[in-house]
Amino acid sequence: MNRKLPPMTRKTFLIGTLALLASGLSLPAMAEAIPATIDKPVTITFYNYNLASAGIGAEATRKLIAEFMAANPKITVEGVPYSSADSSRIQADLAAGRPVDLVQTVFSDLDFAVTNFGAQALEEIIPADEMAAHFKGMFPNGLKLGVLNGKTYGLAYTFSTPVLFYNADLFRAADLDPDKPPKTWQAVKEAGLTVMKKTGKQGFAAGITGPGAYDWLLQGVVRSNGGEVISRDRTRLKFAEPEAVEAIAMLKDLHESGVYQNADIASALDGMASGNIGMYLQTSAIQGALIAGATNKYELRSSTMPSFGDKPVRPNNSGSALTIHAADPLKQRAAWELMKFLTSAHGYTVITSEIGYLPLRPAIVADPNYLGGWIKAHPLVQPNLDQLAVLEPWDPMPGPNYRQIVKTMMDAVEMVIFGNADPAAALADAEAHAQDLMP
Amino acid sequence: MTDASLPIRGVMSPRKRSSSRQMGSRQTGSRHMGSRHIGARRLGARQITPWLYLAPAIVALVIWIYWPLIDALRLSFFQWNMLPRSPQLFVAWDNYAKIFSLPKFWLALRNTGIYIAGLLPIAVLIPLAIAIYTHDLPARARNIYRAIIFVPMIIAPVVAAAVWRWLLDPSYGMVNLVIKWFGFDPVKFLADPKVAIWTIIGITGWKLIGFSTLILSAANANINPSLVEAARMDGASRWEIIRDIRLPLLSSSVLFLVMMTILLGAQWSFTYINVLTGGGPLGATTNIYYLLWDFGFSSMSVGWSSASAVILFLGFGAIAFFLFRLIDRYSFHDN
Amino acid sequence: MTTDVVRAERVLTKPQVHTRPQPAAKPRPRARTRSRLDGAAGHLVMVLLSIVCLFPVYWMVVTSLRPANATFETSIWPTSTSLDNYVYALQAIPILRMLGNTLLIASVVTVIQLFTGLLAAYAFARWRFRGDKLVYSLVALTWLVPFQVVMIPNYLLIAKMGLLDSVTALILPHFASALAILLLAQSMRSFPREVIEAARMDGARSWRILWEVMMPNLRGTIASLAILIFISTWNEYFWPLLLSRTPANSVVQIGIQMFMTTEGTAWGPLMAASTMASLPILFIYVVLQRQVIQSFMKSGIR
Repeated sequence: MNRKLPPMTRKTFLIGTLALLASGLSLPAMAEAIPATIDKPVTITFYNYNLASAGIGAEATRKLIAEFMAANPKITVEGVPYSSADSSRIQADLAAGRPVDLVQTVFSDLDFAVTNFGAQALEEIIPADEMAAHFKGMFPNGLKLGVLNGKTYGLAYTFSTPVLFYNADLFRAADLDPDKPPKTWQAVKEAGLTVMKKTGKQGFAAGITGPGAYDWLLQGVVRSNGGEVISRDRTRLKFAEPEAVEAIAMLKDLHESGVYQNADIASALDGMASGNIGMYLQTSAIQGALIAGATNKYELRSSTMPSFGDKPVRPNNSGSALTIHAADPLKQRAAWELMKFLTSAHGYTVITSEIGYLPLRPAIVADPNYLGGWIKAHPLVQPNLDQLAVLEPWDPMPGPNYRQIVKTMMDAVEMVIFGNADPAAALADAEAHAQDLMP
Repeated sequence: MTDASLPIRGVMSPRKRSSSRQMGSRQTGSRHMGSRHIGARRLGARQITPWLYLAPAIVALVIWIYWPLIDALRLSFFQWNMLPRSPQLFVAWDNYAKIFSLPKFWLALRNTGIYIAGLLPIAVLIPLAIAIYTHDLPARARNIYRAIIFVPMIIAPVVAAAVWRWLLDPSYGMVNLVIKWFGFDPVKFLADPKVAIWTIIGITGWKLIGFSTLILSAANANINPSLVEAARMDGASRWEIIRDIRLPLLSSSVLFLVMMTILLGAQWSFTYINVLTGGGPLGATTNIYYLLWDFGFSSMSVGWSSASAVILFLGFGAIAFFLFRLIDRYSFHDN
Repeated sequence: MTTDVVRAERVLTKPQVHTRPQPAAKPRPRARTRSRLDGAAGHLVMVLLSIVCLFPVYWMVVTSLRPANATFETSIWPTSTSLDNYVYALQAIPILRMLGNTLLIASVVTVIQLFTGLLAAYAFARWRFRGDKLVYSLVALTWLVPFQVVMIPNYLLIAKMGLLDSVTALILPHFASALAILLLAQSMRSFPREVIEAARMDGARSWRILWEVMMPNLRGTIASLAILIFISTWNEYFWPLLLSRTPANSVVQIGIQMFMTTEGTAWGPLMAASTMASLPILFIYVVLQRQVIQSFMKSGIR
């Protein structure tokens, strides 16, 4: 910081430091100052990527916001759509000094949101008893998803788990039992080969690699083999260690056997939806698109993520958390109220039944007042619910170069699985490269 | 950049000159705008006038493009997230070093060359043939053909990409159904690393044909019919007219399109790479623009994106400079 | 050094306006048998090319007419048709409003860019002045500046002006374009000097010469350029994506994109929205295209 800066920067820097000092000084005060109730009108912004699309996601979000505003007449919520693929609108709005109060943050961006976009640790702004009261009844490991460096920055909002979708009709045509979907990777390979041989269709597809995949599915695959892509304290990359290499080499073998084809996410999704692929490992969030393609055409079923032999499956979540970015106590209170509403039993009911994500509250699953009836009518969501109990966090890469780290890793993984690269060497090379980009 | 003017000079061989002698001799007396000595006479009192005409464009370009670009030059030496409250950390050449050490950098550079080489025939030669061919057709046929060729241009790039992915799909795409009907194996247009780049070039070209045809048709229609008529009376064949009159007179537009393809080809294919392959499979379709976008602009790090922009600007600027030089020299020699 | 070449070439290129009224102009019917064969082959190639150009567009329209569960069908002709996708698209996003915005923005940008382009091109084509080549090069080089790098600075400027989420903000950064300036300068440079000299003798000021002498003779270029600017503005995506907050103040490209979500793509409505977005522009092209041809005809026989 005390390196030479050009004059203009120095001025900006000075102002920045002052601002930092000012906010630093007032932070503890704020923690106590969050008002218990909202007694005057307040407007907060809610940056939401579901609003950037047309359809059920946006409609359900608008409905939830409207319900919240009706119940809290003093709070006005301004929904701001943004693209989840790049958060440049949030960045631009913060740079322009516009208020960013509550954000639907992709888990992968969580570290950056905390260090750069001013996401607040709930422990620092919300009274402990209020937090405890709201967290009651949530999956304990679900609560951990939004924890970074020991503090809760985000509350899982629209999230899901990896699900193995399969085409039961293709299974039947290949003389496979659709009631016994493959549980291990070995079984996936065998079933895939059979589907290919008997039906001529593609055996297996997965959203592990490709643009827009990030690293979420890879993290779960590597973990399920006892490895991890990054150390628990997120200081050291580990995707070139033996367990990870073995897991990725298994996928390479799956590809070389002809079962697993390299296809980008959209064509894999369309391939599955149009009935041309036997099995598809992907986030449960795309269930709606698959159902749309399958209706009256073939029977779509789902199962849990495959395991490595008898090692336990360790799936992690995809999707987003809610993060509070407001600095003003009144707005923090308003944002917290909205956050509570969205992650309440009712909120998760809407999110699950109307958008297609998951409830973090196990009690509402069987409760007929909430999801009970809906889940009976939608058995596809069951594997998803089964995996909730063992769900692990999608670890965000740290530092300002986190996106480049993910890309470097995923590029190498793709080269290994589908190219001629030697798994151990290529991953080690990429790991060294990516480690340079770590903070 | 001695002469960055894009109206690139056509070159006349003695033969071309003779075939159009009538026209040429009649015209020698006329002077055209922009010739140097006339301008020189105007220096002085009128010095301010051209600037008044330029002002609106210059002001707009400076505000919206050059000012941010100059700022980017400075920021390319910093690590910053663009937020006013966080410090700008001076990192010297670190951002540049990181970009040049990207494993795919040289692959992307090579692919950029393939894109340009592949696009040139589609973006220049075919439209040139279409423009010349359709010119002599009856008005109705000409209009219909040109309208049809122009249709791809009006389709939004993302939609074009989506539809093409659909048509090219190995299992249910129309194109592959046709290929299978002829008894061949389906082609993995987007998933086969050897084929994918040509698929993207094809789709980019498909979108571009209309643009180039429009420009070349306009230039072709600008050719004075009496020139052609005169040559015809001299007994020139159709091909001779094309070779000796049309092509030389279209050369400035052709070179304009060649320049555009070389300088912007990598950018034009961006949407299709982004939507269809994401640079894959195995980096086969990554070009320099996409790579720098992927690592620079789509991240929230201003240093990376600024350095990327500077590299692109200087790199393609240097190519542009070189091309202009080449054209200048070439014209000079021929003279 | 290059000047001679330049002049020689110009002598050859330019006639248009200068040409004395002459009868010719119309391509004369050819009687040779070889060209009839050529003609057939030519038409065959053109028809094939036309199919390549049209089929994806046809597919877009057909898909938009298929009911939801028939989206992936491969029959050339839809087995059953429904307008559900259109109804849904119209309900899900304010697409008519978006089309209106896009039309407004594209028209205004086209007019502005032609205006600033004509002025600047005129300056380059008519005068030699200190630094003209440098400025010309700098204009040309704006082409090489990746939009993403100017995007956020421009956004901050727009925010300072208080214009976020407004249609004006979508227009402002497009005040001038290199394409318009360069293409127009190119056409103007080939304009016969003596016509201008004559106008000047008649006492016309430079302003009048531009609008009354030069512009009418550039109609072909202007019309082509207008089409190109219009389409590129119509298809613009990144800037509106960053800028527009409410669908009602947004453009149709953003609307189209709204059907492509992280939870999968709604193909039917996407294709319906795309079809609706493409039709107006096709219509405008057909109308302008006729205009282009006519203006060529006129300038050709003048």
